[in-house]
Amino acid sequence: MSEDVHDTAGGQGVVARIDGLIAGPTAKAVVLGMMVFVLLLLMVPIVFTFVASFAESAAGALPSGFFTLDNWRTVLGLGDYGVQTSVGPGLAFSAMLATGGMVLNIIIGVPIAYALTRYNFFARDWINAIAILPLVPGIILGVAFLRTYPENAGSALGLIVGYALLKSPYMVLTVQSSFQSMDLQQLEESSRSLGASWPRTFLTVIVPNAKDGIIAGSIICWTLAAAEFNFTYMVYARGPRPFSLFLFENISNAPYLQSAAAISVYFLIVVAAITVLQLVGNRGFSTSSDR
Amino acid sequence: MAEVTLEKLHKRYGDETAVESLDFTVHDGETLGVVGPSGCGKTTTLRMIAGFETPTDGVVRFDSEDVTHVPPEKRNVGLVFQSYALFNNMSVLANVAFGLKMEGVGKEERRERAQELLDMLGIGDLGDRSPESLSGGQQQRVGLARALAIEPDILLLDEPMTGLDAKLKTRLRTEMSNLLEELGVTALYVTHDQEEAMAMCDRIAVLNDGHIEQIGTPDTVYEQPANTFVANFIGTSNVLRGKANGDSVDLGFTRVQDERLEAVNGEATLIARPEAFDVDDDGFEAQVRDVHYLGERIQATAELPDGTDLTLKFDSFDRQVSADDVVSLALDLDDVHVVD
Repeated sequence: MSEDVHDTAGGQGVVARIDGLIAGPTAKAVVLGMMVFVLLLLMVPIVFTFVASFAESAAGALPSGFFTLDNWRTVLGLGDYGVQTSVGPGLAFSAMLATGGMVLNIIIGVPIAYALTRYNFFARDWINAIAILPLVPGIILGVAFLRTYPENAGSALGLIVGYALLKSPYMVLTVQSSFQSMDLQQLEESSRSLGASWPRTFLTVIVPNAKDGIIAGSIICWTLAAAEFNFTYMVYARGPRPFSLFLFENISNAPYLQSAAAISVYFLIVVAAITVLQLVGNRGFSTSSDR
Repeated sequence: MAEVTLEKLHKRYGDETAVESLDFTVHDGETLGVVGPSGCGKTTTLRMIAGFETPTDGVVRFDSEDVTHVPPEKRNVGLVFQSYALFNNMSVLANVAFGLKMEGVGKEERRERAQELLDMLGIGDLGDRSPESLSGGQQQRVGLARALAIEPDILLLDEPMTGLDAKLKTRLRTEMSNLLEELGVTALYVTHDQEEAMAMCDRIAVLNDGHIEQIGTPDTVYEQPANTFVANFIGTSNVLRGKANGDSVDLGFTRVQDERLEAVNGEATLIARPEAFDVDDDGFEAQVRDVHYLGERIQATAELPDGTDLTLKFDSFDRQVSADDVVSLALDLDDVHVVD
């Protein structure tokens, strides 16, 4: 009996110690340490590549001979040798395609996320699974597009639709998580009881309240579409060379330092796109005053 | 404001009946409380009045106008929810002015009217804030101001105080009650909290399994419950049964004589509130099992010789019983209600 009591007390002591560890400053330090480690793991290759793009030589273990813009000049089509393809038109074309895909994703993905969160209907779980799982790889969708729409698959419209289909799960998923944090039914009913029609309620109350999810989804869709290689490689037929193909050529055919510059161009574009989408998103959704 | 009438209102979902033959009127300027256990049809009734549910049968009238099939945005109904349902993409002022904007009221006028309401509710300085930055009580006030801004025909409140702490609830209850009276608002107040309903409402409808068990003023419902369900749902009751014989009934532990019993044939049911029992030397004996201190009152459970439990309440300052005491109790017939 006394042993039982002792065991229980000992067990409770262990539990209390574990509790203390989880809740205490040690746990905070461990979690912070893990976060910093993961961030470093992600950031080091990016920073290393970016720095290398300004080096003159990559002969040793580390790039050397700083600082030169020759690699950037070559990649941007301003040099006397190298790929000799200007990045400008391809970049603009890709940005346009990615933006088109992203807009299509907003137009289609937001109502889908809303319906999946708000309503119960037949086969909802199946539709939910299909909507949020990136089931089809780019290469498969590319082949399917070429077989189904042989004339238009490689056009700008074909690429936009393809990007939208490939990236839609990311939009649906992020917007759905925003919707799940709200009481959609009561928000909708409040607005309608105040005299707003359903479309007005959806556009002025429901959608703006999901702005965080929409911005996050847009950023993911845009950046992934801008760099989508497999689908683009399969279907691209005409127009300026999309950026992902340009990157591929630079990385596979050019020396390492020029590849580093090409990859750096992409990183900078992603940072710019995220900044623009955040700014546009926040301004576009803000209705803080009674306008 | 309007008088709202429900006529033989039914709502069925497949084979399930949510609401059955509801017939009642919320008078102009009155606050009617709708209480009942979970799933009794309270919220379905509210949603049918708001227009978010279409009745399977029956009519909803605002004054004499049949609004049964009028869409919610055209009904002029104010809604206040437990979750507040404020629009976080708008400022507090914009939230309150939203309904006026939908009505086409000019910007200056709607801002002025919204500000007036916020002032009236004591949150006039919060107009520029985001609803998310407010406390629960402040958010509930914004929700109320927003619903009142459109001067609704009826204000529908769906468990608006649930989730607030007890002290704030009591304060908000008084404020809200005064405001509704001052503005002469017709209101339907849905709650599972009977105490809240008794404090807030002019009349109370007790719902059970989709139908009304009793509708009346709070004191009528408490003191003269129509049946044992109402007696047990509103407050605490001791349901005592015995065979009536003329003007008396033998309850087993005591014999009660009252002229109201003459109308009863056979089995008589008496509803005795816990306050109906007093300690009295000439009474019947019971053993006190436990005593709970509730602040102003103490609540005790006493066991009769036949094993029946009685719930008793006494003033705390006049503490007359303790656990394990054998006490002599008397039943005050003025506080006993006889049901058929």
